[in-house]
Amino acid sequence: MNMHKLTSKVRRRAVLAGASLAIVLAAMPVLAQDLSGELVILQWQGGTDAEMWQKLEADFTAKNPGVAVRELVVTGQGDMRGPMRTALLGGEKVDIIINTWPAFRAELVDAGILRPIDDLWASAGLDAVLDPSWKDLGSTAGVTYGVNYTYGDRSAIWYKKAHLEKAGVEPPKTWEEFLASLDKLKAAGFAAPIAMPAKYWAHGEWFETLLLRTGGVEAASKLAAHEIPWTDDIVKTTLKKYAELLKAGCCGTPEQMFAGDWDYSADQIFTADASNYLMIGMWMNSRARNDYKLNEGVDYSIFQFPALGLGHDDTSSVDAKEVAVTANGANPAAADAFAVYMVSKDAADILASYGYASPSKNADPSLLGPVQQVATAAVAQSKVQFVLGDLLPGDLVDEYRVQLQKFLQDPSDATIDAVTAAIEAKAQELY
Amino acid sequence: MQETVASRTVDARPGSPARSGGEQSNRLATRLRMGDWPAAWLLITPVLILFGIAVVFPLIDTIRLSFFDIKGLAKPKFIGVGNYVKLFTDPAFRNTLLTTLTFTISTTIISVGLGWMLAMVSAFAPRQTLPFRVMIFAAFGISEAVAGYMWIGILRPDAGGLLNAVIGLVQPGFAQPWLGDPRTALWVLIIAASWGGVGLPLMLCFASVQSIPKTLFEAAYIDGANHWQVMRNIMMPLSLPGVRVAVFINLLGALRAFDIIYILTGGGPVRSTETVGYFMYRESMTQFKLGYGAAATVVLLVAVLVVSIPAIIQRTAGAR
Repeated sequence: MNMHKLTSKVRRRAVLAGASLAIVLAAMPVLAQDLSGELVILQWQGGTDAEMWQKLEADFTAKNPGVAVRELVVTGQGDMRGPMRTALLGGEKVDIIINTWPAFRAELVDAGILRPIDDLWASAGLDAVLDPSWKDLGSTAGVTYGVNYTYGDRSAIWYKKAHLEKAGVEPPKTWEEFLASLDKLKAAGFAAPIAMPAKYWAHGEWFETLLLRTGGVEAASKLAAHEIPWTDDIVKTTLKKYAELLKAGCCGTPEQMFAGDWDYSADQIFTADASNYLMIGMWMNSRARNDYKLNEGVDYSIFQFPALGLGHDDTSSVDAKEVAVTANGANPAAADAFAVYMVSKDAADILASYGYASPSKNADPSLLGPVQQVATAAVAQSKVQFVLGDLLPGDLVDEYRVQLQKFLQDPSDATIDAVTAAIEAKAQELY
Repeated sequence: MQETVASRTVDARPGSPARSGGEQSNRLATRLRMGDWPAAWLLITPVLILFGIAVVFPLIDTIRLSFFDIKGLAKPKFIGVGNYVKLFTDPAFRNTLLTTLTFTISTTIISVGLGWMLAMVSAFAPRQTLPFRVMIFAAFGISEAVAGYMWIGILRPDAGGLLNAVIGLVQPGFAQPWLGDPRTALWVLIIAASWGGVGLPLMLCFASVQSIPKTLFEAAYIDGANHWQVMRNIMMPLSLPGVRVAVFINLLGALRAFDIIYILTGGGPVRSTETVGYFMYRESMTQFKLGYGAAATVVLLVAVLVVSIPAIIQRTAGAR
């Protein structure tokens, strides 16, 4: 072949290729705006939460008509990480993962499933929408993976107003007032004022806020990272405070505590009128409004965990949910857009209509119900720590919950020594 | 459909069913010549392929997984028999072995014992009791998950639970947390599981009674035996083949029990109702330690084989 001909052919092709590339590059911003294709979301929530998500998805697709959202629904009971792992290991490809466990995020990162979003954070101007603490909360090893779209106060105690009125009790502010209120409620005919859901995991809620109020955010954080042992005095003092509740006859027999999970305990307060206090996350608000048809702030309310007076009463336990985008999803552009959408005003409004608070600065707090407003104000004034159970390795959290059950059976000092030693032994294996 | 023992007439049917079956097998074997093998393989191959995909491959893969350390979504690491060593030094697993043994033996004794007893009674029962027998057997057809939710309603810990409400008729306000008490949870679980398991032994034992040559009953009654003597000396010993099959099936079912435990107690309280089947689930699906869970599965498989092989050998020898 003639060398000159070949060179000119190559040049022609290069010019054509360059022109094509220029056209594609020119069209890219338009492509970025006009999203299309299928967006797959790994969905593990049910009930009212699932309904709320369908509204969010419908609103997103109304704004991006080219995108079709498909939920890959996984079902199960208890910890939903199992079904999620099964789906992902089974080869399912999704664009968005809804996550509420920092330890699970780290696992997803290690497996190469999540895509870092620091660039997206900068380009979408998320610093103007979310406080830096939310960015930290969505980060693993200094890299951002999650956009937090809702959070909840886990140091709130739920109650039905009529019960406290009947017993002549004002929402207690101190530990002493709280213990005294148990006696008044029992005198008013409530045999077990605290509905303690110890069947699976929810009995840990009391321990976790007591730990924060005893040792502060730093101690809780160190315990989660096993920088202090479970046999530390802070843990033992926490359990001794927990024991004060049990010895005050807060919760009925251990068998009654083991008989139900949090939803059964909620029924005991809000439908059976048999108990009075429940310590559980803000999803209770949705259940109270939508399932029990109660009037938020009128029929029921919350008060923040009473002050222990040990120097850490400005602390609260919180949970949060984030959307994380995947590295192997088929539609990264739509995934990014959806992650940004979740902290938009429209998304925050939908969340508020279901009783959920958004950390977004676009959110209008006045849309929240009175109970949610109490919770958001309490969190805003607190030093916060993520729920301990969601920070611990799976094996350890399992052991911790079983050992706490043993503690509920016999809250003596000897048991405290035994259970803390057992949890520590498990922690030694794992860290 | 059925007739009661007392109303039976003499049946001049020659020989026992076993002998008839044996003669038929011999005739078939004679007929099955070498030329029939291609057709036989053609017929059996699809089943073998399906069996391989659905049973053999997952089995081999489970055994393979049991030699790996798999934590969550992380890459598996080969650790040889490490999972087995850990398993047998794990106090939680040792506890599940004991619970499994208690659960398996108890549910088998209750289900088969009750089923056998009902079969004996049914043999004397008039035709009009057929709907009740059908109802008892129907429990066997209900999924364990559905039965589990039904039992949750029965065993609710407050006075609104059906069982508490019934006891409450005598003792007002009675509220026993049946499933919340580590002392009662396992036994309540055993009763719930046994309830669903009575139907099959009943039918198997009843079928065994039906196959007893009627001449034996005739002879017994002519000799002046009463119903109790007929039951004790004829029906009970001659229905033992049915009892053996029922025991075998119940043992296997109880060893692998999971659904009803998952729904009723989740292995609690304080792991008091955790069987090997539930342990396997917890380790594999909750902790996502697939290798460790697979090792527990292999141990369970060995237990199932220990129960199955003697029974299969016995039945095969019996067929010859």
